[in-house]
Amino acid sequence: MVMPRGTAIVVVLVLAGLLLVPVLGSNYLVDLSTEILIYMLFALSLNVLIGYSGNVSFGHAAYFAIGGYTCAILLTTYEWPLLLAFPAAVLLSGLAAAFVGYFCVKLTDIYFAMLTLAFAMFVWAVAFKWRDMTGGDDGFVGVTVPALIDGRVPYFYFTLVVVSISIALLWVICHSAFGRTLVAVRENRTRAGFVGVNTRAMRHVAFVVAGTFAGIAGALLAMYNHGMYVESAFWTESAQVLIMTLLGGMYSFFGPAMGAALLYLLNVFTIQYTEYWPTVQGVILLIILLFVPEGVVGLGQKIRQQLAKAD
Amino acid sequence: MSMLTNPTIVFLQFMNSISLGMNLFIIAAGLTLIFGVLRVINFAHGVFFMFGAYVCYSVVSRMAETAGAFWLGVLAAGAALAVIAFIIERGLLHYLYDKEHLMQLLFTFAIVLIMGDLAKMIWGTDQYSVPKPEGLKGAVDFSFGADLAMPLLYPAYPLMLCVLGPVVAIGMWLVLSKTRWGRVIRAATQDREMLAALGMNVPLVYTAVFVAGSALAGIGGALAAPRVAVSPGMDVTIIVECFIIVIIGGLGSLWGSFLGALILGFVNSFGIMIFPNWELVLSYVLMLLVLLWRPWGLFGQPEADGH
Amino acid sequence: MKRFVTSFAAAGLTLAAGYGAASADEIKIGVLYPTSGGGAIYGGPAMQGHDLAVEEINAAGGANGVKVVTVARDSKLNPAAAAAAAKELITKEGVNVLIGGLASSVGLAISEVARQEKVIYIATIPKSIKITREKLHPYVFRTASNTDFEGDALAQMVKRVDGKKICDVQLDYAYGHDLADGFIKALPSHAPDAEVVLTLRPKLGATDFNAYVTQIMGSGCDTVVSGLWGNHFVNLAKQGAPFGLFNQVTYISGGEIASHEIAGKMGADYPDNVVSNTYELWYHSPTEAHKKFQARLAKKAGTEETAMWPMLAYNGVMFYRAAVEKAGGTDAEKVIEALRGLTIETPVGPLTINAEDHQANTGQFWGPMKKQAGRKYRMMDPVTYIPPPGE
Repeated sequence: MVMPRGTAIVVVLVLAGLLLVPVLGSNYLVDLSTEILIYMLFALSLNVLIGYSGNVSFGHAAYFAIGGYTCAILLTTYEWPLLLAFPAAVLLSGLAAAFVGYFCVKLTDIYFAMLTLAFAMFVWAVAFKWRDMTGGDDGFVGVTVPALIDGRVPYFYFTLVVVSISIALLWVICHSAFGRTLVAVRENRTRAGFVGVNTRAMRHVAFVVAGTFAGIAGALLAMYNHGMYVESAFWTESAQVLIMTLLGGMYSFFGPAMGAALLYLLNVFTIQYTEYWPTVQGVILLIILLFVPEGVVGLGQKIRQQLAKAD
Repeated sequence: MSMLTNPTIVFLQFMNSISLGMNLFIIAAGLTLIFGVLRVINFAHGVFFMFGAYVCYSVVSRMAETAGAFWLGVLAAGAALAVIAFIIERGLLHYLYDKEHLMQLLFTFAIVLIMGDLAKMIWGTDQYSVPKPEGLKGAVDFSFGADLAMPLLYPAYPLMLCVLGPVVAIGMWLVLSKTRWGRVIRAATQDREMLAALGMNVPLVYTAVFVAGSALAGIGGALAAPRVAVSPGMDVTIIVECFIIVIIGGLGSLWGSFLGALILGFVNSFGIMIFPNWELVLSYVLMLLVLLWRPWGLFGQPEADGH
Repeated sequence: MKRFVTSFAAAGLTLAAGYGAASADEIKIGVLYPTSGGGAIYGGPAMQGHDLAVEEINAAGGANGVKVVTVARDSKLNPAAAAAAAKELITKEGVNVLIGGLASSVGLAISEVARQEKVIYIATIPKSIKITREKLHPYVFRTASNTDFEGDALAQMVKRVDGKKICDVQLDYAYGHDLADGFIKALPSHAPDAEVVLTLRPKLGATDFNAYVTQIMGSGCDTVVSGLWGNHFVNLAKQGAPFGLFNQVTYISGGEIASHEIAGKMGADYPDNVVSNTYELWYHSPTEAHKKFQARLAKKAGTEETAMWPMLAYNGVMFYRAAVEKAGGTDAEKVIEALRGLTIETPVGPLTINAEDHQANTGQFWGPMKKQAGRKYRMMDPVTYIPPPGE
């Protein structure tokens, strides 16, 4: 349960740096940091499934979108206070994940992935077709955000607090006995079954945890954009968060967060410099795959080992 | 709903289902072949399809009125994609086989990004139209002289696809079941370690399968070109449909894909008459139902316990 | 990992410094069109028109004497991505105005950013009626047509061809539903004895239309009223023609399928009996200004047979220029006052932005597409300009 000292120091430094962003940085940096924090949480939530239970979801955007739409609709259409709307959104994401997970954990590997995709596209279609409730493909525009956090800097701090608490909770979950059992299940499902672990139930819980935290990220994005759009539930969004996770390194806790930051920045900067940003991203992906297959975290470890040797 | 009781419409929708299904099968066959042997989920299959359509357009537009230009375009599309696939497999993918499966998935995603841009650089952003080949421009009269309220015409081009689909399926089946290469490939889908133990050149098998599967995507693109606008973005829709077909049929199963494509064809024709407002989601619901009922697909093998 | 993180953080911190807002010696326009994937068909030509406008303004000494520069971003046809890009344009690049958009959702998303950041947004292509109705706010303007205007024109065309039994075929997404609403609303006043006998809603991005063609032909309608745009129409036409669809019905369509980029590329595959609309036609010059615009655009595009989209983007920039000159600067509140009720000369005649709903009175050219001697493609003949209702 105890965080290694090196990691703990880095976490504290990053947190301190983030706290100072609105003081030292431009409006742009505040926006960018808010966006990245949200995607970090999204990617970390997916990693509970991939990194810890070994199941790849192609439909993780569904829970992100359910969280986002629920929060947006409860706040705006039904004028619920944030303190009710936000937890309700998170709860609904978790419940949706519990329902879908019940069916998905019966399957493994690619069939698991495809079933998550099928359910997610169903969520997308409902958001698309239910125009009265969700605004359809026009999007749910003009979300009412409580005055207290409706502003660039206040919202950044709100996001920072929610994301930090969420990540801390995820850390505790993944490093508890439950998390270690999940890893055992991932490593050898048959043997974990022999020693009396109900592997299916374990994977189901992981599914619910992942969906719940994705819902938090989605609710944060809906309020940040003052809008929620069907594209957030589309399979391309699920693919994006999957790439973030793999890019960062799925077998380390913080890897996906770094992958999220890296891919998001890559998205933001390549589109500023060239119309051919897909090629630039594709080439960078190829380089990482061929030369840094363990992800960014793996690269970091490699460099550290090299430096240690040199010392 | 009353249309479902009109025999003419039912007949035409039946034909529509089969022609659409066969068109989709020719494209999806390559995807299932590649998955069966390489265990790679090839996201780039859609972009290969798009390249096939573009190559066919380039050939046809240069040869203008020449008879057989279209068929040359189809062959050129297959050949071009075979070359591209060879370069990709030998140059890059080949180095990733011993890595996690997910890394191969990411790899094919990178190829999608790069090749999508490449198409834009070569062909620009216009939409192009490939005319139907000579002899298949018109329609066949199925009324056989009977006096009907509604003309019973069926266009010749999709009719040709109804024939070509089974030809491709049987051809592939013959190659896979009757030739030595086919037996090697089938063995590779069952047990890869065994293959190497038997002294087979496994890397060569992989290359051959990736090249053949990709060439099929190219040919599928060329065959689709006379029916649809050839334009950027045409890769996105098709890749999802291919995945659905392959999953419904059972990954790696040729006849599974054949059946999956037919079912999707029927859902798209009759489904939209029964649920007119839900075309958006019909194919996903189909995949959902099949996976809940038979998680390994209609013709797939149940997974062994564990991995 | 520690070293990596610290270097990463350091790289991030360098971002913090040194982003100035626009300086007084230039006017920055943030422009958002899709330039990758399927949207590039429209975004590419739109950027040509945008660039042409900016070049012309600078050649004439700038807007209000100030040089105009463009900062372009790919809107990716994705509202969340477009919103992020719009924010970046405002907070990092310090643009004075946002121009562009294509899909309704992207237009609405950019409009929402404009509202929060108090920066003017001129929607040049999105037609969603919501932008200038439910979601109207002081900072958003539209120089495109809208779905109510277009739906009304569809009903007028039904009257012109004397259609009685209508198949209402629209794509199952916002634009399709909005256009259908506009059409159904206007139909009784223009063609009271016409009735809708079949309603079909193919999905956005559909590529196979055989099953729809069969239903249309089975319903016995004499007129199809539609708004299938771009590739949707191309696919429907190529698949429906051999069934004899276009012998049975008159196909009336919004969605600008009479524009030359569709007709020119389809060539002989463009079917008979199509009546449709376009914002602009390279071969039809209603004004001297259009001839000049057309000549300049042809030079830029490298072909005489130019697309329709450039003019939409061009007009948006020209509206902003005129407003800045009227306001005597780029102060958003003053420019808003200037834009309200502003009239400018465009290549297709004078256009005015309504002071109440911020919507320009943009009409469209409508007419049947006919074969022409010596041409490989169809052209609109005769060309009729239909102004917005009430004009």
